[in-house]
Amino acid sequence: MATARPSATAAPSMGAAAASASPTVPAVMTNATSINIGNLQGWWLDWMTKSPTPFAERMTLFWHGHFTSDYRKVGTNSPAIYWQNLTWRRMALGDLRSMLLKVTPDLAMLRYLDLAASTGRAPNENYARELLELFTMGVGSYTEDDVKAAAKALAGWRLPMRTEPTAQTGIFDPRRAFAAPVTFLGKTGTFNTESVVDTILANDATAPFMVRQFLTSFVTPSPSDAYVARLADRFRRSRYDTKTLMRDIFTSPEFVAPEMFRALIKSPTDFMVSAAKALGATNLSGTIRQYGSTLGQNMFDPPSVAGWGEGASWISSNTMLQRANFVTAALGTLRTTPSAARAHERHLDSVLAQGTVNELNLARDDKSRWFAVFASPEFQLK
Amino acid sequence: MGATDLSRLSRRDFLKNGFVFGAGAAGLAAGYAAVPDVFARAVYGGKLDGVMNDRVLVMIQLAGGADGLQTVIPLQDPKLRALRPQLSQAANTALPLDASFGLNRSMRGVKALWDQGKVAIVHGVGYPQPNYSHFDSIRIWETGDPLRRQQDGWLGKTIAANYDSAGHPLVGCACGSSEVPGALRDLDATLSVINGQNTFKFNGADAERAMGVIYNGTPGIYGALFDTSVFSARDTMARLRLAREKYTPRAAYNDNVNLVYSSRNQLAAALQLAAQLIISGVGAKILHVTLGGFDTHDQQLARLDSLMGYVDGAISAFHADLAAYGMSDRVLIATWSEFGRRAAETANGGTDHGAAAPMFLIGDTVKGGFYGEAPSLGALDRGGSLKYSVDFRQVYQEILESHLRVDSQEVLGKAFERIPAVRTA
Repeated sequence: MATARPSATAAPSMGAAAASASPTVPAVMTNATSINIGNLQGWWLDWMTKSPTPFAERMTLFWHGHFTSDYRKVGTNSPAIYWQNLTWRRMALGDLRSMLLKVTPDLAMLRYLDLAASTGRAPNENYARELLELFTMGVGSYTEDDVKAAAKALAGWRLPMRTEPTAQTGIFDPRRAFAAPVTFLGKTGTFNTESVVDTILANDATAPFMVRQFLTSFVTPSPSDAYVARLADRFRRSRYDTKTLMRDIFTSPEFVAPEMFRALIKSPTDFMVSAAKALGATNLSGTIRQYGSTLGQNMFDPPSVAGWGEGASWISSNTMLQRANFVTAALGTLRTTPSAARAHERHLDSVLAQGTVNELNLARDDKSRWFAVFASPEFQLK
Repeated sequence: MGATDLSRLSRRDFLKNGFVFGAGAAGLAAGYAAVPDVFARAVYGGKLDGVMNDRVLVMIQLAGGADGLQTVIPLQDPKLRALRPQLSQAANTALPLDASFGLNRSMRGVKALWDQGKVAIVHGVGYPQPNYSHFDSIRIWETGDPLRRQQDGWLGKTIAANYDSAGHPLVGCACGSSEVPGALRDLDATLSVINGQNTFKFNGADAERAMGVIYNGTPGIYGALFDTSVFSARDTMARLRLAREKYTPRAAYNDNVNLVYSSRNQLAAALQLAAQLIISGVGAKILHVTLGGFDTHDQQLARLDSLMGYVDGAISAFHADLAAYGMSDRVLIATWSEFGRRAAETANGGTDHGAAAPMFLIGDTVKGGFYGEAPSLGALDRGGSLKYSVDFRQVYQEILESHLRVDSQEVLGKAFERIPAVRTA
């Protein structure tokens, strides 16, 4: 088999990623090449279960939820949403400044939050607002005037025209920009995208806000202020290097503290991909895609610009039923069922509630034991 | 069991699999709760003595920002033609309601209900300082809070404050959805979400039994949430079985419609499920359904006509079904959308995000007619949107006080001027 690594530089390699589930993309791709969203979703989910570097996929999913865009608004008459995915994989552990400078004129983002429709004369506040509210600083740390000022300062980006088919990012047109000074986060002057980003990064709200995003996705729904502040200080001093931050998080005493054990609910994708990997099943991307829709997590289709919710919002009568049904469906696709004799040690850390123990003791065969493991409350948590 | 070095195991899992992020649990025994049981309190906190009446509310969300001027169409205003050279054609085919306004030509069923005095149209519904973001404005409508400070949905709060949802999970139900809509969300309320009644079941012969064994006294901060959700799923399955036996539709529901483009068509199926839950008496009080596709930035004339035809057909069937079972006097239908659309059309025959738009209240308890003041096409706001004359919370208040007969201030935080669109006696 050809190497199954999605490459950021060579888009067509997506076709070679996995013959069974590659999105049908032509060898030569322009910014006006249509894509098939179902194939793209299947390709990524397939890759999540197979990649030799799963942490890169987990980070890509994190960024997809953070700097989110959805294919419905972005459209599929361009590879923009696919390119955005390649960007997050390539920059998975990058520095925040580079990411912000990349996401602002990203073709999918330009469409998704209307920055492409914003000009100095008629600024559109959509991107400016979410840049501050959701992407960097958090609500309450800036004013409505800052939003208006940022909207002016960021104006100037446009989508490529038909005569620019090879452009993979937005094009800055000074005639669309706002030439006069504005006051943004207390600084007055003529801003451009770079100085807007640098002003945001110089603000005290940014590092704690970002750290909190990571902690609530990887460690605990309610990190203490002291934990956040400690990590945020090092994050800022590392020039917002997310690799440093992730290392700090995973080596922090809090990460292995007893009260952080199973403090988070797995998202549907976490849940299904971890089940597929536990089974060693490589043919489940179709089932995962189908149940992703049922469970409320479709790739490239977040419910809002805030990405996907966390925690308790994933659990309802409907989703518990459908998580169990996913397990039944996934086990049904197996030609041979691997032994489940040690599954509770390997996948539930041998820390089981009485109900799970009871069902494991009742289970007569491997399929039933796997069902008990994957449908258990322990496996819904991380 | 228990002899393994758990922190080492978890770390190895994490490094190898990426997706397993369980922190080590060294030193913790099987009952691993170590944090206050907030969710347990939340889930079981429903009221024991709920409001006792047989009123039911069905909210229909028209997601994407439904245009008002092509739904309740000004017939006499020459400014409509000036603002909307293409879209104003809709006035020529409108179904006249009075001398000034006509209904979208596709809404024959609603027009028939209007003629029977069962439709209230509230003009110009919005809120101060309109927000043009879908997400923000949806959240504003869902929480009933233009300042975006509230987390809980207004319907969720209503359930938590008034009904015993812990024992009766169908009190609040999202029909035709896979997740809890924001309007129904409240940690103090137990809710059901039924995507499709045929798919709401455990697949596999043994799954329901096994889930009952597994989810029984689950420890941990999410234990009660899990157990309640599984209990609620099994309980809902049983009630749906009962409901299927007691109900056969007495009206023609049809999702086989051609929309210009849209996501899944299941509004009629969702309303049929709502009818089934109401008619079979399984305890449904507040139901929510959603239809998307209203973000008509282009081709609005054809798109909105087809969408409104779809909405009209589904509502007509729903009302006829309830009436055939003698239950239409209990049920109020209300439509909502995050905002209306800009007064002027765009070059490609669409409209951008706007502000005020009309709301429909439909049912036997409604006092038919127009309410509120229609926004003037000659006095738009700075952005070119229609100015609101009725705060959406005035309509919420009327729904809560006059139809459901519950305390609206507990949900909305304060009292608003009344829009008397629902009969109180």
